[in-house]
Amino acid sequence: MSEILRLTNISKTFPGVMALQNISFDLNEGEVHCLCGENGAGKSTLIKVLSGAYQPDEGGEIFFEGKPVILNPHLAMSLGIQTIYQEHVVFESLSVTENVFAGAEIVKRGFLQKAEMRRQTLGVLKYLKSGLSPDAIMGDLNSSGQKIVEIAKGLIFKRRAIILDEPTASLSSVEIENLLEIIETVKNSGLGIIYISHHLEEVFKIGDRVTVLRDGRKVSQHEIAGLTKTTLIKDMVGRDPSTFYRREKVPIREVVFEAREVTGNGARDISFTLRRGEIVGIAGMAGSGRSELMNVLFGSARLDFGEILINGKLVKHSHPKNAIQNKMCFITEDRQNTGLFLPQTIAQNVTIANLVNTREFVVHSRDDTRIGDKFVKQLAIKTPNSQTRVVELSGGNQQKVVLAKWFNTKGEIFIFDEPTLGIDVGSKQEIYKVMVDLLKQGKAIIMVSSDMPEVISMSDRVLVIKNGEKMAELSGDEISEENILINSIGDKTI
Amino acid sequence: MSSQPVAESKLGLRTSLFKRYETLTVLSIFAGFVVVIVVLQLFLTGGTKFPTFISPVNLLNILQQVGVPGIVAVGMTIVMISGGIDLSVGMLASLVSIITALGISKWQLGVVPSVLLGIASAVVLETIMGFIISRTKVEPFIITLGGMITFQGIALLLCSSREVIMNGELDFLKANLIQGAKDPVSHLNLIVPPYVLIFFVIALLGGLLLGYTKYGRRIYAIGTNPQAAYLAGIDVKNMKLSAYVIMGVLVGIGAVMLLARINTGIITLGQGLEIDSIAMVVIGGTALKGGKGNVVGTLIGVFFLGSIGNAMNMLRLPSEVQFVAKGLVVIIAVSAGDVSNRISGFLSRRRELRWHAEQRATKGESVESTSNPK
Repeated sequence: MSEILRLTNISKTFPGVMALQNISFDLNEGEVHCLCGENGAGKSTLIKVLSGAYQPDEGGEIFFEGKPVILNPHLAMSLGIQTIYQEHVVFESLSVTENVFAGAEIVKRGFLQKAEMRRQTLGVLKYLKSGLSPDAIMGDLNSSGQKIVEIAKGLIFKRRAIILDEPTASLSSVEIENLLEIIETVKNSGLGIIYISHHLEEVFKIGDRVTVLRDGRKVSQHEIAGLTKTTLIKDMVGRDPSTFYRREKVPIREVVFEAREVTGNGARDISFTLRRGEIVGIAGMAGSGRSELMNVLFGSARLDFGEILINGKLVKHSHPKNAIQNKMCFITEDRQNTGLFLPQTIAQNVTIANLVNTREFVVHSRDDTRIGDKFVKQLAIKTPNSQTRVVELSGGNQQKVVLAKWFNTKGEIFIFDEPTLGIDVGSKQEIYKVMVDLLKQGKAIIMVSSDMPEVISMSDRVLVIKNGEKMAELSGDEISEENILINSIGDKTI
Repeated sequence: MSSQPVAESKLGLRTSLFKRYETLTVLSIFAGFVVVIVVLQLFLTGGTKFPTFISPVNLLNILQQVGVPGIVAVGMTIVMISGGIDLSVGMLASLVSIITALGISKWQLGVVPSVLLGIASAVVLETIMGFIISRTKVEPFIITLGGMITFQGIALLLCSSREVIMNGELDFLKANLIQGAKDPVSHLNLIVPPYVLIFFVIALLGGLLLGYTKYGRRIYAIGTNPQAAYLAGIDVKNMKLSAYVIMGVLVGIGAVMLLARINTGIITLGQGLEIDSIAMVVIGGTALKGGKGNVVGTLIGVFFLGSIGNAMNMLRLPSEVQFVAKGLVVIIAVSAGDVSNRISGFLSRRRELRWHAEQRATKGESVESTSNPK
């Protein structure tokens, strides 16, 4: 068994963040090497270094089959390192064969050798026992089929290593089973596979070795044989205490919001209550259905079954406007695409959501400006006045504009979806302070977050979601990294 | 996500007038155009005669020509700001004129019911298209292209591919509102027909609707970012639909005005109306991708495009030249904003570099002269 890849002493710093720190990693022929770690542990950065998209900092070295290389995406490809990302970049209207050979067509005297390309594709698809046709149109295949085509491509072009980033994220259990078998076949043909997954069952099923990352550092490396899930989870938890935030507690009052058996948009049978002065954290791995649940609560996705009560009264949110009228606010995860009107001014952004609550048909720009200026001052948005266009602001200040938009609706129930995603440390603290201020005013917060220290330090209670289902409700001392992680990735039994 | 230092963004605010007031760009191009025409005309006539291009009678003449496309352009402004487009307006206007003319001369419905029937059919057809556009993900370009072809077919079927001649029943719409007024220079009769007045009223209403109402705010919001608009409680689908309904009303009114002018319902009546009105709107600074633009800009576009053909006439150039001129004006007006942005961006970068250099100099550090082009 010879070595394909070896990384030594790899670090990667971004302005203000140390994404990777002295990582060593290696991959052999015919093995599946798994990468585990929480959201933000540095897995994606490591993949990008391996695929040549990022250059490691000074001092780090990469060896390919024993020889030192400086990777760029093109070189990585030609050496035979293929990365299959979670989101596919495929030609939807072309056939499977055409997708496999896109950009590397077999040509003889200027003519495409269609039959030859089809023959090779068919051969590999058969070898993988996939049952896919080389003539199928790529866009007609589901995520699992498209993944298999990508893997087939790796075999046809005799790749050496395949990196799979969360390959099973949106697959059904039958499809996962099928994909894992295919990975097994590929592995036996001598390729090295790097496998990233949140699902420990899969890691234990197909992995040979596992490397655990945490806060950009390599914590441990194990042979899967003889390893227990408990050990693996122990390695994944235990973050640097300096990343935690000490939050002021606020007296908790009566229940303001209640979800009963909420089902729809991927969420299944979720019940919880929310009280004034309280933050309920929603934890879980990426893709566990947390944002989907929030959309159901806010009326931007359909509620198939279940009830939502606000101040004890049954409500029906068939459109976000109903939720806004019921004093709900939704600070979305992707603020640029779903929260802001980037080319418009701060004043225009701040006043738009409250139009639902106003009766007047005529609006005056000077009122908007007055309201905008008030929030610029109140939230210390770094700009001269509210006539600045939002696109010119930094991430933290843009998030404040989103907050101002909802404060202006005089909402009481706030949903924060990843409130500090992509925001620098200073602005993070300011946003936490704003959240606590809301609690002091008797408002209530539902906070979806993949940032473990954030969930633990801000929440009064934590719901853990996995595959759209509520796995646990933690409060007080139960809120620990270990408890959250066990419930969000492991089986219920461990 | 780059967090700019405060100093830089403060410098960035000192941008060109053109960048801050985009309608100013096209207004100055228009002004330049007028000056060139006037000067050329003075030059060609040997400087003896008053330039007839800016004579009151000619200006009113231009107004008469742009009145109807102008009415449609106001509707197109709303549709395009909401993120849509409507290619069907020309053929829809032809269809409305044929329905109205048939109603008056063949079906004997009476003038008012025929006019109402014509306008109502425009509203119904636009509503159908708006419904499809707002409820599906199909591009408005495609739906209204299909509408355009369909309306042409319906119109031709209705009139059996023949023109429908009336007996001047709609002449009251082209009566002169300022009977007896004379041009102080040429002593020709000045004419302001009612549809010019209607155009101004519609432009005023459209401007107020977009600029000073809740409805307007929402139209801009859905054009800028429909997803964020939806989550801010805006009924995106019905807002989109409403823009096409308004378009239907305006095309209906415009078509009746056109019919009044030529007294004949005919398939060529609305020909090119979609091209003209879209050109007027984009000259005025409305973005094809929505969320940007206003009625004032559109008005400038209307007058600008409308005066080109007239100016070519004044200069005694062959009328075919006007198409070349119109095309160039569209290209220049739309790219001017971008060009002026680039220029001001270049200037502000230079200012920034100079500012940083000064900062370093005052701190007593060594100044790299390479980064400071003077």
